[in-house]
Parts: sequence; C-alpha cells; structure tokens
Amino acid sequence: MNILMRRLVHLLLLVGALAVGTGAAQAHPHVWITATSELIYAPDGSVTGVRHAWTFDDMFSTYALQGIETKTKGVYSREELAPLAQTNVESLKEFGFFTFAKADGKKEKFLEPVDYFLEYKDTALTLHFTLPLKTPVKPRELALEVFDPTYFIDFSFAEKNPIRLVGAPAACQTKFQRPNDGTANAQKLSEQNFMNGDNSNYGAMFANKITVDCP
Amino acid sequence: MRLKPGFARALAICVAVAVVVLALDGVIQVLMAQTPFGGPRPSGAEPQAGGIVGWLLAKQSEFYREMSATIRAAKSDGSAVWTLLAISFAYGIFHAAGPGHGKAVISSYLVANQETARRGIVLSFASALMQALVAVVIVGICAWLLNASAKTMCGAEKAIEIASYALIAAFGARLVWTKGGGFIRALQASQPVPALALAGHHDHAGHGHDHDNHDHSHAHHDHGHVHDEHCGHSHGPAPTELAGPGGWRRGFGAIFAVGVRPCSGAILVLVFALAQGMFWAGIAATFVMGLGTAITVAAIAVIAVSAKDLARRLSGGREGGGALFMRGVEFGAAGLVLLFGVGLLLGYIAAERVTCL
Repeated sequence: MNILMRRLVHLLLLVGALAVGTGAAQAHPHVWITATSELIYAPDGSVTGVRHAWTFDDMFSTYALQGIETKTKGVYSREELAPLAQTNVESLKEFGFFTFAKADGKKEKFLEPVDYFLEYKDTALTLHFTLPLKTPVKPRELALEVFDPTYFIDFSFAEKNPIRLVGAPAACQTKFQRPNDGTANAQKLSEQNFMNGDNSNYGAMFANKITVDCP
Repeated sequence: MRLKPGFARALAICVAVAVVVLALDGVIQVLMAQTPFGGPRPSGAEPQAGGIVGWLLAKQSEFYREMSATIRAAKSDGSAVWTLLAISFAYGIFHAAGPGHGKAVISSYLVANQETARRGIVLSFASALMQALVAVVIVGICAWLLNASAKTMCGAEKAIEIASYALIAAFGARLVWTKGGGFIRALQASQPVPALALAGHHDHAGHGHDHDNHDHSHAHHDHGHVHDEHCGHSHGPAPTELAGPGGWRRGFGAIFAVGVRPCSGAILVLVFALAQGMFWAGIAATFVMGLGTAITVAAIAVIAVSAKDLARRLSGGREGGGALFMRGVEFGAAGLVLLFGVGLLLGYIAAERVTCL
C-alpha cells in the first residue's frame, strides 16, 4: 500500500508536470497601469496616507467606458464617470488596492479610499484616490509596494516624478526600485510554486518598491 | 524487495519527463538568446523574468499591446487588418501557455480517458473555438445589442465562469467515479501477486502447504482477470475502452465545460474594436486568436497523451503491475480534473481573472 501511495504521488507529479507544468507561474497581465503616487505627511512628520493616480491603458480604458452615456460623445465629465469610479474603488478593495505598506517592518492597514474620481484625457482613464492609513505612523523606514500578486494588472510607475512626498520632513530620503530585475526571483519562484502549488504571490517579483527613510 | 523495480520504473518515468521539460526550457532559452532581446534595455522596460516564463510574458505583452494600436490604424488603413490578424494569431499561441484555456483540464481528461492524440487535437480546437464564440456572443449581446456597461458585462462573465468551473468539477467527479472503479479493480487484482511470489519461494518450507496452494489458485484466477481486462503486453488501449458510441458525447462534455469560459483578453479586444466601429475586425481577431490558442493547447494535449503512452510502454513489462500502474495514472488524472474544478471554483487555483475593476 505504501509503495502504491508513493507511486501515486509520482503519477500525480508526472501528470501535473505535463498539465500545469508550463503554466505553473504564467499569469499574464491584461491591464496595464501607469502610476504616480504621493505620500502624504502630517505637520508632525507622520505619514497619514497614500494618494494614487493610476492611468489605465488604451484598451482597458475603452472597455471600462463601455455603455456610459454622455452629453457629448467622446467627452466624459467627472460627474458622468462618478458611478464607474465608485465601482472601481469597490472592486479594488477586494485586492487591498494593490498597495502594501510596512512601517519599520510592521504591516500597516489602510482605511476605505477617499477623494476618488476618474478623469478621461487622451483616450485614457485615470483613477485618482487617496488611501488613508488606519493609524498615522512615524517610522524610520517606510516601505510601500505597489503590485498585483496575481499579475493580472501590470503596474509601472511614470517616468517623471513617479513618487512624491507631500509635506515630509526635509531629511527624508526616497528610494524607488522598479521591477526590472526579476530574473533570479522568477526562477526561484517558479520552482517553489511548482513544489507547493502556490502561485498566489507570483506578481511579487513585479512589485514596485518605494522606501522612505526619515532619520 | 520485489516491489522495488516498480518503484524504480515510476521514478525513471518521472526523471524522463523532467529531463524533457528541462531540455525544452534550455532550447527555448538558447533561441531566446538569438532574438533581438539582448540589446540594451530602455529604462522602465517590461519586467524581465527568467526562462520560458519571462519569454512568454514579454512576448504576449508585446503582441497584446500592439493590438489596440493596430485596430485604431485599421480604421483608416485596411491593410492593418492583416497585421491585426497576424498579431492575434501569435498572441493566441503565446497566451494559451498561461493559466486558463483548459490546457490542464483537457490534458488530464485525455490521460484519464484513454483518448488518442488525434482526438486530443480535435477537442483542443473545438474548445478553443467555442471560447472565441462565447466571447463574441457575450460582447455582441451585452455591448452591441444592449449597450450594457462594463459592470454588467463583467457580471455576466463572472456567472459564466462559475458555471464553467462547476461543470469541470462535475465532469471530474464523474471521471473519478468511473476511473476509481477501474483502479480499485486493478488494485484488488494485483494484491495476491506478492503472495504468489512468496509461495514460490517458500514452497519447501513445511508449514501451510495447503494454504499456499489456496493462494496459488486464487492468484491464478485474479491474474486471468487482469489479463482479460487490460492486456499487459498489448500496446493499445483495451478494446472496451476505445471510443465507443458514447465517446464523442463524453468529449463534448469536456469541450463544453472548458469552452464556455471565454478569455478575458478576447473580451477586451472585442469591446475595444466595437468602440472603434471595427467590431467585425474584432470578431475576426478573436477567432484567429482562438486558432492560435488551439495550437498550443493541442500541442500540450499531444505531449500528455504521448507521455502516457510512454508510461504504458515502460510499465508494460510486468503484467499485473503494469495494468495497476496505468489504472493509477488514469485515476490520478481523473482526480486532477476534479481538483481543478473544485480548486477553480473555490479560488484556490489562480485562473485568468475576469475583467472587473
């Protein structure tokens, strides 16, 4: 029986390798977002939240606008886009707004987004929203990651001014790391995934990492 | 000790498969080095991941992102439609290597159900074309006829997705039920075989001679049974399991369960094309994309079926054990179909997400 079980495990591996093997970690983006983000500081130097501006790609913008009635064709006002913005922030909640913050290594939580609206310009939709931190923090090191763990959405930050600090103490230093050196990680990850069948965090190697050091 | 060769054989098969997969990866990496990827990367380039994974990701992202521009161009320049079709075809081929598209389900079904490679190809094409058709129907009805919003459309997509996963799970459950029977019968048949060997060895030992005799005849009976059911030295599937009258109907079940779930990429392309007043180009692109998808899925299905044939040949040496091994493979593959269905349904297996944002 023991040998049989072991054989069965091998069989499952064999079939699994063929069936899922190549797909072990090949989630692929369908939506591209170009982001800029601002970290908002209170006068006492603590971080209170993150303000995002996410511009969707051409195709997804068109898809999202499908069926929205406007007064003038091809022109979408902020009011006409309000219901869509509402839908967006509600859907994004399920994914934790793809924004993950750590203050001195401790995970921080965000409240419901505020001040959210959509803007349509040059055939692209931009979603603006602010995520307030549940409790403002004043860490030495704040780490912020923006990515989709399932990599359905590809996040890349804008070339110009990707990150801005608003009202931060003068001594604070920003470091920004784009996800363009995932080679080693990808290899490691796909082997790991294959062994434990978990690729829920596949997108982590496409994460944009922002670190702010305030001495 | 005498069971060890079986285990070694199973191990050998696994190693063989691993070697093939690694070799494939190596070949693709070498090919990759020759493509113009080596040039200096512009800053802010697409994220680079290693091996097959990274290459596929980069390729399909490239194709996909070219599609919107090409559809726009096709409005004024008819020849751009051909470019669109070429891109869609390439995208379909690369894209299908990702999760979804029923590769895993179809391959497992083929392995579980003694199907031929030829039928695997037919099933792959049928399910891919059905996926394309469903995408066109959804966008045609929701967006074109009803002018529904993206939210409504994504609601429809979600409902269809759940139905598809439930169907896969149900289909898998039925396979497990059928194949489980075959596996248990093979298991029972093989159990007395070690006793037979022992009997041969300890024949001269004084005790339990009668008992040995009893075992001997019993084993003989079972051996005959195995022989009838699945001929150890025949290389084809047992005649009773070859495509009978119900075979194609079962296959249709697989096509339907897999094909009813459209590809998110196709939906996006169709809506985009519709908004540009080029719906017909979007429809053509979707079907060409489906054709590309079918080629990849069919290739993987053929590999799965060939691997099973190889496993059958490798395990064919010993009669009882070989049959048990193959029943085990089928049972395992049937279990995988069920696991895929349940896993997808409960969200444990990441599938391609529907476009709800």
